[in-house]
Amino acid sequence: MALQTRTAMPGTPARQLGGPRPRWRCSETFAAWLFLLPSLIGFLVFTAGPVIAAGVISLLDWNLFSPPGFAGPDNFTRLGPDPTFWSAFGNTLYFTFVSVPLTLLVSLALALLLNQGLRRIAVFRSLLLLPYATITVAVAFVWIWLYIPTDGLVNAVLGVFGIDGPAWLISDDWAMPALIVMSVWKSFGFGMVIFLAGLQAIPQQLYEAARVDGATPWRTFLSVTLPLLSPSVFFVVVTSIIHSFQVFDQALVMTDGGPGARTTTLVMYIYQTGFQNYEQGYAAAQSIVLFAFIAVITAMQFLLQRRLVHYDV
Amino acid sequence: MSSSLSRRTLLKTAAGGLAAAGLSGCSSGPPPGTGTWSMWSSSPEEGKVWADFGRYVERRMNVKSVSTLTPSDGYPTKLDLQLVSGTASLVTGMNGWLLPTYASRGAHRPLDDLIAQDPDFDLDDFYPAIRSISSFAGRTYGIGFDVAPVVLYYNKTLLERHGIDPPSATEPMTWQTFRDLAIELSGPKDGYGFTCAPSIDDLVSWIYSAGGNVINDKGDASAMDAPEARHAIDFVIDLFVKDRVTPPINNLVSANASGMALANFLQGDVAFMQNGPWQVLNVRKAPFEWDIVPFPAGPAGSKPRVSGSCFAIPSGVNGSDLDLAWRLLKTLTSTGALDIYATAGRNNPARLSSGSAFKPPPANLGLVQKILKGRAGGGHPFDVTTNWNRVRQLLSQDLPRAFLGDLTATEAIDSFTPRLNVLMRQHRDAVRQADRRSE
Repeated sequence: MALQTRTAMPGTPARQLGGPRPRWRCSETFAAWLFLLPSLIGFLVFTAGPVIAAGVISLLDWNLFSPPGFAGPDNFTRLGPDPTFWSAFGNTLYFTFVSVPLTLLVSLALALLLNQGLRRIAVFRSLLLLPYATITVAVAFVWIWLYIPTDGLVNAVLGVFGIDGPAWLISDDWAMPALIVMSVWKSFGFGMVIFLAGLQAIPQQLYEAARVDGATPWRTFLSVTLPLLSPSVFFVVVTSIIHSFQVFDQALVMTDGGPGARTTTLVMYIYQTGFQNYEQGYAAAQSIVLFAFIAVITAMQFLLQRRLVHYDV
Repeated sequence: MSSSLSRRTLLKTAAGGLAAAGLSGCSSGPPPGTGTWSMWSSSPEEGKVWADFGRYVERRMNVKSVSTLTPSDGYPTKLDLQLVSGTASLVTGMNGWLLPTYASRGAHRPLDDLIAQDPDFDLDDFYPAIRSISSFAGRTYGIGFDVAPVVLYYNKTLLERHGIDPPSATEPMTWQTFRDLAIELSGPKDGYGFTCAPSIDDLVSWIYSAGGNVINDKGDASAMDAPEARHAIDFVIDLFVKDRVTPPINNLVSANASGMALANFLQGDVAFMQNGPWQVLNVRKAPFEWDIVPFPAGPAGSKPRVSGSCFAIPSGVNGSDLDLAWRLLKTLTSTGALDIYATAGRNNPARLSSGSAFKPPPANLGLVQKILKGRAGGGHPFDVTTNWNRVRQLLSQDLPRAFLGDLTATEAIDSFTPRLNVLMRQHRDAVRQADRRSE
């Protein structure tokens, strides 16, 4: 069809299928590759290359400084009886499965609020996006001050309500929730912007139809907003889960993995293994397991999206 | 036409730029024969000392000196990268507690053959403690440039205000006397008897003084659950939890940082601080009178941690570079160079012949040399494993829970001992591997 259309165009020479490609097409392809090249090189050098290298290193016994030896699957079999690995894995799951739903709820609530046609919405949107745009380490230091048990702001506010706040970052029970609260605050801005864009793309006539049908606001939210926002929700869920499994900097700065190993996350343990204990092979094996786990979780989400995500308006 | 030309020009410019960037990235570094060395440096004052070192090297060796200075926090990471990429300096500065980590992994070479071939070099001019700290598995891997025991700083003004006589300048007080004083000097409001970090690096001085250690004699298991270590841990934790003579812990990360105890002491409301004489330069800024005395004596006497730093040669250095590296290392650790270091007040130099250069104030600074020469108090070289980073981190995560009173000392020890034993077995394996490599 396209070929017929093109051959029918006046002044355009006809081209037989399988014949030589016109110069302008070659030039376009070349230009496309040229534009892609920076990203492609970046991907190959900084993403694909390290992933392949990690796979190779996971089979080696290598301390960085001496020549590596072949370890076969030993680094993977070591994972089974390593209690610290499983503890870090559990901590990472805890962090992910609490922080992601909380981030989604906060992001969605704020996006709905900002979608109400407020005046100076751009100002509010920018202010709410600030935590996301700020460096995690800087935010973590601010939260360390907020969490100081004796004169931190969090316990001061709790004190107003007669609550004796805990020693957040050094408490067995409260260190991880404290990290989660900080992480939610840090990252809700990203989801909020995505949700806001999704909300603004929903056709107004659907809301009008719902209103004419006498739907309550809650029913409208469940039957119109949420289904049509599901592609945005899916995107935010997938990216948030991936980021949460890679949590590292806030735990390193705020608790250094403690107290005990209560906030030692998988990426932190990988870092300790690889760059503090110089066991590159074992660290690479842990990275491969984390990579595989994230891949499986993401694949499951993509399978579920067929049933739960609605792309049609 | 103009569009085609401009595109071509753009592509040429881009290609030229890329080529230039590539060439600059492939810089070959300093020319052969340059005396390259690396060191940590976190302040302009430190930078000046190392610049003086550089000038001293150029004057004595008649070679160009190029030093790579990195802030102390990032120094090990940078050293790792340089060693792995083959871009390390001919001589690298190294904190003593990291020496077994690098030596066991073959990152640095033993120096025994170079020492044996050099009749001008006198290893006996170095304090025994730094020779122990600079050795691993019976071989010398580094030549020291500073060494010092932990001492007890005290706030003279605060003691005078309470009508308490200064402690003996040479005789260590007993733990009980120290505890009584710390309790007496605490309170009633915002006054504290003592400060130290709730970390293993500070706790070891108490453990050594109780006759214990972190690692057992065979080097394959934790000794933290032995009665001596338990006694020491109980004593210090009681200072925090029962006696409440220490400033409150608000955050583990900063509490474990070595600077926190110093910051507490400099506030002026803490009577005693355990720390090394390497902090003398910082404590001189204190707005009150102070001095140092020996570390309190436990059941085994006063045995505070003795720490030091050294210069070492990476394994990749060989041929004519090795000769240059050895001459450079000797110059950097010569009496003249260490006099520069000590005169600047950085720390106590590692050579006996440079001992007089580290001068007061404080009035009792000569104590450091007396301790190292065995004429006062006592000391214990810092015994570390080949994975001390991990040991330190494990204990820094687990011990503070006891310092906070969330766990008893026994509960904390029982909790971390199995994981500490895993690290100790890894240490034993690393030592064995290093032995096999050197055979």
